[in-house]
Amino acid sequence: MSKILAYYPGCSLHGTSGEFDASFRATARALDLVLQEIPGWECCGNTAAHSINRLLATALPVNELAKVEQDMKLDGVAVPCAACYSRFKTGAHEVAEDEQTATDVRAVVGRSYNGGVEVDNLIDVYHDAVGLDELKAKVTRPFAGLRVACYYGCLLTRPPKVTLADDPEYPTHMEEVTEALGCEPVDWNYKTDCCGAALALTEQGIVDDLVGRILTDAKACGAQAVIVSCPLCQVNLDGRQVEIAKKDAGWQGIPVVFLSQLVGRALGLDDKALGLKKHLVDITAVMA
Amino acid sequence: MTTCSPSATLSQRIAAGCDENAFKCYQCKKCTSGCPVARYAGMHPAQIMRAVQLGQVDMVFDDRFIWLCTGCETCTTRCPQGIDIAAIMDELKIMARKQGRIPAGTPSAAMLKLNYDSFVRWGRMWEVELITLDVLKRPSSAKNWFTLGPKMLLKGKINPTLKRGDTQAMKRMVQAAESITRARESRTGEAAPAGDAGGAS
Repeated sequence: MSKILAYYPGCSLHGTSGEFDASFRATARALDLVLQEIPGWECCGNTAAHSINRLLATALPVNELAKVEQDMKLDGVAVPCAACYSRFKTGAHEVAEDEQTATDVRAVVGRSYNGGVEVDNLIDVYHDAVGLDELKAKVTRPFAGLRVACYYGCLLTRPPKVTLADDPEYPTHMEEVTEALGCEPVDWNYKTDCCGAALALTEQGIVDDLVGRILTDAKACGAQAVIVSCPLCQVNLDGRQVEIAKKDAGWQGIPVVFLSQLVGRALGLDDKALGLKKHLVDITAVMA
Repeated sequence: MTTCSPSATLSQRIAAGCDENAFKCYQCKKCTSGCPVARYAGMHPAQIMRAVQLGQVDMVFDDRFIWLCTGCETCTTRCPQGIDIAAIMDELKIMARKQGRIPAGTPSAAMLKLNYDSFVRWGRMWEVELITLDVLKRPSSAKNWFTLGPKMLLKGKINPTLKRGDTQAMKRMVQAAESITRARESRTGEAAPAGDAGGAS
């Protein structure tokens, strides 16, 4: 029987990262997962809400969780965007831990959330909801040892009191998923370092420094591609290479691929459905 | 030599706002070692924590550090005292904005507000709107998009349209959250000079 998960795409997957949305949906179909998009979903509040109005920042994701729990009557939600995932986990954590917060959030949302929804990020969906054995069994076009650097960035594992990640400083679940697809994950230094996130809108010089350091290390450790699970990380790691190449004439581009695209390719899905042509550094060679 | 007299007001306000105790910090500087943006500002996270302990409001608010903090949570994850340092940075941003203490040369502060206003207006954050409004406000920023923008457009990477969220529900939640926050602040004597919870820019 198919497993049903609620689906929260978030603003970026409807904006600059349509290929993330498309490839995630395509892989879910191929893996017998039914995704039901939360009707009339709102923004999770992203980076802005928690630095302007703390209560709203907690209430927005909890409102979505209450919809999943009480309107959709589902016990799991897939939140592939790492930043949205973090807001969902944080919101659920805060209402569970603090009674005053729970009371205030109830007043804002208009109902209680009873904690009955598991929040899965992209890696959790493949690693746990589907499972590595099941995933492996459905691979029809395995990679022939493509060397990949798995990049988690900040919010898939931090802070561990919220994410409950096994090893927040050196996670390995994404590596395990890529191995199931026939890739060879490399060990490297920067898998949980920050890419600069939204500073890409205002402090491009800083982001170029941070991205340059991350990608230089990935290449030095032998990676042929960097695998990501966050729309902002993808835009930064891929897009800033245009500027990095201007400052460093010898820069060799490295493809930055969404994990869902990598999974889709190994499942034998059509390139078009995976949006492989939307990247600034060409990824079609490593995905061939 | 500059000396200062410690004042607990700043740390008390932080405790009231985010329930974190800044006095637990013993200056090991693990937060600073792991901070991706420490090198780009005048202050680094451990210095901000010390300034908070000593009530040095000007040192904190005159520096651009808090506005460079990306919220990566590395400091919070590694703090041996279990202090949620990233939450303190958020609280400082909230206080600085309310008190009108945003220093020059920190476009990220205005960008956060554009972002907030965008999802409040549409129920969802509209990336194209953020960039457009920022360029109108800060024309020099347009050069940042000359190369990248057209390339992204050509690749079909940018979706200029927006599908709205439930704007009525969003409006209701924003009003409720702002009014509860205001009521709490007036109880703890934290009312902003402008009297505006989250609305000031």
